[in-house]
Amino acid sequence: MATAGICWDLAKAALRAQMEYRANFLVGILAGVVWQVTGFFTIWVILSRFHSIGGWTLGEIAFLYGLRLTAHGLWVVPFARLIDMDYMVREGEFDRFLIRPLNPMLQIITSRLRIAALGDLVGGVVLLSAASAKAGVDWSPVALVYLILVLIGGALAEAALQIGCAALSFRFLDTGGLRFLIDDAFNKFGGYPLKIFSGGMQFFLTWIVPMAFVAYLPAAVLLGRTGELRVSPVVAYLAPLVGLIWFVAAWRIWSWQSRNYQSSGH
Amino acid sequence: MPIITADNLVKEFRLPKRYGGPLGGLRTLFTPAYTVKRAVDGVSFTVDEGELVGYLGPNGAGKSTTIKMLTGILVPTSGMLEVAGLVPWERREENALRIGVVFGQRSQLWWDLPLIDSLRLVGKLYRVPAERYRRNLDRFTELLGLGAFLQTPVRQLSLGQRMRGDLAAAMLYEPPLLYLDEPTVGLDVLAKERMRSFIAEVNREHGTTIILTTHDLADVEKLCRRIIFIDQGKVLYDGPVQRLKEQFAPWRELVVQLVPDGGELPPDELFDLPGVEVARREGAKVWLRFDPKLIPAPRLIAQVTARCPVSDLAIVEPELAGVVRGIYAEREAALTP
Repeated sequence: MATAGICWDLAKAALRAQMEYRANFLVGILAGVVWQVTGFFTIWVILSRFHSIGGWTLGEIAFLYGLRLTAHGLWVVPFARLIDMDYMVREGEFDRFLIRPLNPMLQIITSRLRIAALGDLVGGVVLLSAASAKAGVDWSPVALVYLILVLIGGALAEAALQIGCAALSFRFLDTGGLRFLIDDAFNKFGGYPLKIFSGGMQFFLTWIVPMAFVAYLPAAVLLGRTGELRVSPVVAYLAPLVGLIWFVAAWRIWSWQSRNYQSSGH
Repeated sequence: MPIITADNLVKEFRLPKRYGGPLGGLRTLFTPAYTVKRAVDGVSFTVDEGELVGYLGPNGAGKSTTIKMLTGILVPTSGMLEVAGLVPWERREENALRIGVVFGQRSQLWWDLPLIDSLRLVGKLYRVPAERYRRNLDRFTELLGLGAFLQTPVRQLSLGQRMRGDLAAAMLYEPPLLYLDEPTVGLDVLAKERMRSFIAEVNREHGTTIILTTHDLADVEKLCRRIIFIDQGKVLYDGPVQRLKEQFAPWRELVVQLVPDGGELPPDELFDLPGVEVARREGAKVWLRFDPKLIPAPRLIAQVTARCPVSDLAIVEPELAGVVRGIYAEREAALTP
């Protein structure tokens, strides 16, 4: 509990520090919203021509997209600082996290929050609520709890990939390209029902990279579309757990790899 | 009781082998070959509680690498290290609670926040009880003269102010161990003096064990009783400051102010005595370097005054800086083929 208190204090300090640059702060939030709206707009344009993608209607696609966006916002607000991982390792900035009595990852997370990503979160929630009415989701209490778990699980799954990638920084110093690739892939593919892709691709996005567990499988559960899945419905129900497992594994790998940290200068 | 025991510490850095020429970059990318650089090569020492040790060496000698292993930042390639009963990198967070670290080259403070915020956060991180925090803050604010800029964002502080802030942050939780890596680098004379008196005070009053690396030998002469001198990753000397001088600079110097005899100054040959050489000469002022074992100072003075009229005499002990310069020069000579 003491750890949570310290993290909270550090996060507040990070926020105060960011407020020192107010203009940047406000522009950042605005840019975040605009960026995500454009993303959905692309899909909307496609849908207005074809009316459905893989049998999913506009409402259903919007629901899927909202699910992904909210999960994305949930991971990216606290973990934004991972973007600077290469820099921190290469320049020796990581030193400071190792000489303080707190888990280094917790220190990284709390050293900067990406407020701009709140745009993702807000956009995601708005889209999700609007679309769930249109797509006709049956909101039983169980479904609501499942939704919350799924959002957290999705955030953890995406965070896991980025943390695993950041773990490579300790050895290879430059992983920016790979990280951008992952982010871009989630952005481009995550918002579509994965059934429109080939079987091999679906397998890859389910078992090699856990993208399917972020939005597609949970959305299929909530929309009553589990019949069309290539995996057993049980797997879809367990989506939050998959995110958690990936996250724990990635965290472990990261901590283990941090022993390879070489600092800078000798 | 030693608080630090280092036994045969080794740290190697592996760098991918680089290739030049066309497609060299591509070859570098895929090569399995590494070049190994041994930054620390079998360093052993112990430090007792309450000691203030100067850790010296030329650039690239392995000083910072050693400090980084002591603090738990780096994991050694081999060897044993125990700090206050812990292996630093294995129980990093516990170790962190017991050490204060100041890097002269890199501030540990929160760059965009007022100094007081950094101190407050450090107090929280190290779980300092409110009352003790208050007391230490007041004390260090006074000792280091922080009052005038406690509310200033760290990025707007001068280097001297920032270093004082860093020192206060490192001592706020009264760690039994303090590592100072070049804490006076880039500071002006006055700021250096202030840092030194604070370091001495902390060592004396709190019994804090301090390891200090520096290039400013005045720091060492004023603060440390013991020096560990390393070069190319190996310990060259470990012992009292005084003995380093005796070992590497066993000579002393007699500064003689000559009186021109009928307008003529005596030539250097006049001082041709066993165990004596002219180290420097500026007109009527001569620096005679002599070995006290071959010719004791009183006899040298008697011989000199017998040979020519003298208006002033002074015996000078070698300065540490001069001694170290000598060691560096010897090493350069040994390395040049």
